Amino acid sequence: MSAYIQGRNVNLTFRPPNRRPVRALQNFDIDVNEGEFLSIVGPSGCGKSTFLNVLLGLAKPDSGDIMLGGKRIEGPGTDRAMVFQEFGLLPWRTVQSNVELGLELKGVATETRREVSQRLIEMVGLVGFETHYPHELSGGMKQRVGLARALATDPDVLLMDEPFAALDAQTRDLMQVELLRIWQEAKKTVLFVTHQIDEAIYLSDRVMVMTKRPGQAKKIFAIDLPRPRDYEMRVTREFNDLKLEIWNELKDEITSR
Amino acid sequence: MSESHALKADIAADDDLVTPGRTGWQRFESTLYGAGSIVVLLLVWEIVPHLITISAGTKLFFTTPSQIGGTLWTMFATGTIWKPLGVSASGFSLGLVLAIAVGLPLGVLIGRSRTLNAMFDPFITAFNATPRLVFLPLLMLWFGLGLGSKVVIVFIGALFPILINTYEGVRNTDRVLVNVVRSFGASEWDVARLVVVPNAMPYIIAGLRLAIGRAVLGVVVAEFFGSESGLGVMMVQAAGRYQVAVVFAGLIVFAALSLAMTALVQILENRLSRWRPQHAGNE
Repeated sequence: MSAYIQGRNVNLTFRPPNRRPVRALQNFDIDVNEGEFLSIVGPSGCGKSTFLNVLLGLAKPDSGDIMLGGKRIEGPGTDRAMVFQEFGLLPWRTVQSNVELGLELKGVATETRREVSQRLIEMVGLVGFETHYPHELSGGMKQRVGLARALATDPDVLLMDEPFAALDAQTRDLMQVELLRIWQEAKKTVLFVTHQIDEAIYLSDRVMVMTKRPGQAKKIFAIDLPRPRDYEMRVTREFNDLKLEIWNELKDEITSR
Repeated sequence: MSESHALKADIAADDDLVTPGRTGWQRFESTLYGAGSIVVLLLVWEIVPHLITISAGTKLFFTTPSQIGGTLWTMFATGTIWKPLGVSASGFSLGLVLAIAVGLPLGVLIGRSRTLNAMFDPFITAFNATPRLVFLPLLMLWFGLGLGSKVVIVFIGALFPILINTYEGVRNTDRVLVNVVRSFGASEWDVARLVVVPNAMPYIIAGLRLAIGRAVLGVVVAEFFGSESGLGVMMVQAAGRYQVAVVFAGLIVFAALSLAMTALVQILENRLSRWRPQHAGNE
């Protein structure tokens, strides 16, 4: 029985013109179950984001297999959607038409698009802001739009590349709660890349620690905290023990050169 | 930063809260001063020739606002202006439309493709460094003294600002946004339509504004240099006959044309940049 998302021996080297090639992923293996929330933490530049781009179909690995639901990933597809770190909203489009972007490209009729975007705008709590432009929104609101846009095409897999990194601490806490609520409601498989161990534990079923570049899976931690999670869990002994364990694993990768 | 934007959003959501940049009176005041200075200038120009004595020979070279106004009125009333105006306007608009039709897509293409960029770059650099008007004798030889040579000279003048600005704007494209639309399965055409062109729009508008100036210049010079008909031809012929008021009338019509086109671009720009922060207050 193979996993829902399965990566085997994935290798990817960037070859920028006039510069030394950079090995981003080396013999990278990963297994993700359907409906699972998996976080990936690792030192900066370890290839976490690269892997999400490979899954999204925007980057092609040099070798190795990546399968999703038994099918090899060949390019972008509507079964996957990404929430981008710097939101990636089209500044010349309103909230509503940003949310509808994927549906528009899929050729969905205007009426259906309106219905879907309205439902998602409600879900992320942006009712009343449909005709606003991104520059009129706060960071947290922008990322809600980014989330609604990713959910609009109803993907099976949600890829999140440090989605809350650009937000202040309080907004981030709030967005984490929202994300868990939406995840429980929408039942998606989520791959969540972050630098914050707290965030990874709080959200995930499992947390993967990656080595420094070229990135490999170093260790995977199962997070057995009960769901639904609440904010108080973050101060429990169990939570902090996990945090320390993951930190110790990560520390070697950050400090060793 | 993000807080102030959120605040703005809250304010914008509340319809009756509007923060005007300038009060009505302030705006009226500056309009008044602007119009007033024009009126004073015209009055002085009109009155001075009545106060001092000018020799008949010198008088030949001068005119007054009332004479210019009268000449313009007669030209429009009798319809003699329409033919030269029509010729100049069609040379101008045909050349400009052609320049947009070629410059915009070409700018996008060479901005997106490294190969095309390498192929076109030497031509663009060389052409752009050459004053376009030096082509005029050759163009007259090839296309004659009619509409053809005029359209081509306007085209050559207007093409480069549009082409180069579009190219610059396209090079400025945010890679993240390209990845966003690609991740939704966008084709290269979708990428251009949804990201590249909207992103380059401020550059394109700036190019268009420059292009209009170049286009008017092209029409004027082509007609001064030698053309069968047009406003410029009318002006040159009138100058030969010492009809100074007619020369001024032509000048005013050219100026009015340029102003009208610039205003049109301004309207276009306002419509297209509603999403930009600095325009948020004006809408």
